[in-house]
Amino acid sequence: MHRLGGVGLAAFERQQQSQKSFAELSSALSQAQVDHLHSQLTQFRNALVRFASTHRDSIRRDPRFRHEFQRMCATIGVDPLAGPRKGGWWAEMLNLGDWNYELGVQIVDVCVSTRERNGGLIEMSELVRVVSKLRGVAGGVVTEDDVIRSIKSLKPLGAGYEVLDVGNGKKMVRSVPKELDEDQAVVLAIAQEEGGRVSEELLTGRRRWTPERARAALENMLLRDGLCWLDEQDEHGVAYWVPSAMRWDE
Amino acid sequence: MALSPQTTSSGFLLPSIHSAPPFFTQQPNQATQAIVTDHWTRLILSYARHRRLFTVRLDDAQASGNDWDEVFRNTRINRRLLPSHLAYILDDMVATNKAVYDPPKQSNSAILYWRTPDEWAEVLYDWAETTGQLNTILTFYDIIEPSVPSQLSGIPLALLRKAIATLGKSNRAQLITIADGEGVRFLAQSGK
Repeated sequence: MHRLGGVGLAAFERQQQSQKSFAELSSALSQAQVDHLHSQLTQFRNALVRFASTHRDSIRRDPRFRHEFQRMCATIGVDPLAGPRKGGWWAEMLNLGDWNYELGVQIVDVCVSTRERNGGLIEMSELVRVVSKLRGVAGGVVTEDDVIRSIKSLKPLGAGYEVLDVGNGKKMVRSVPKELDEDQAVVLAIAQEEGGRVSEELLTGRRRWTPERARAALENMLLRDGLCWLDEQDEHGVAYWVPSAMRWDE
Repeated sequence: MALSPQTTSSGFLLPSIHSAPPFFTQQPNQATQAIVTDHWTRLILSYARHRRLFTVRLDDAQASGNDWDEVFRNTRINRRLLPSHLAYILDDMVATNKAVYDPPKQSNSAILYWRTPDEWAEVLYDWAETTGQLNTILTFYDIIEPSVPSQLSGIPLALLRKAIATLGKSNRAQLITIADGEGVRFLAQSGK
């Protein structure tokens, strides 16, 4: 009787032999793949470096270009802030690291110097405006994108800077390590719409909140967080004002 | 509504915070009130300097029609500083030596230190020197209501006394009892 593969010791050895061969072949294949990937990565990196250094000036100068470059990096899964060296690719290839850090320092400067007025919460467009003023550049040279990226690079410092979305496409930057709950986010959004003024009536009328909920949210912001100011002489009784949502002309 | 600085009819530039409605309310949050107090202190002192107002009274916040209307009231937004809030601010100013209650032992009126007594001492001595009145005996009246208006015109007596006391310490002035009250003699500085 002859069975495929046979029986007995010889067959067992043969089977082991083939398993070993398969294993060798498999690791050789994956090694080849890894090598291939490595070479692709190197190639890609070189291409990116070439692109970045060719367009360095444009990237540094033109906010739109910078934004597009940043987006391209994001699409292909490269974080320009990450990298082998301090400051990441931005620093390595574009000398943008310094620019980012510089911007970071100015953002901190503005946040800290306006903190007493706004309780550590500043509207994004206001921040961009004041930072631009500080740099002595026209509007549009520093963009929201740049500020967000800079704030990201501040993260390792543990300063607790964070960009918040308050709805309606409005963003705020928080420079104090306080958690904002959802109700406060709603209050901030309304304050944005109303030039800074919020009241119980606005919250109950527009958001169908119960008076208790509205009062609790406002009192918390007033007494616990110092994020809003009280106005007892309001035409409708009592109002609350969020300084970071008010427009200040210096 | 943008909050912008406003120029008053007396030519004083009010800061933009003066257009913010909650600025006129005493804040229940201590940290916030500290900011409000600080802004009011600076505003009160700079307005007093601008108008040469030596004193402020709680009554000034009570009824309109006085020197402080432009500051204690904002008719554009229909807000005013309440006397109780002013009392709180004055307490803080006295505690930080930016004002002093005058007369003492009450808290309804205060002398504002937009110049400290030491700074007034220098002004006083400069005035005596440039008007050639060193070594002359002057009555307080001569200083408070001089025939030629000076920076010292209208200075409260309590403040004048403090300034003279400062000069006395460095031997630049001497209090003298004269027939109808008190006077002062300014002394030339040795080596000058």
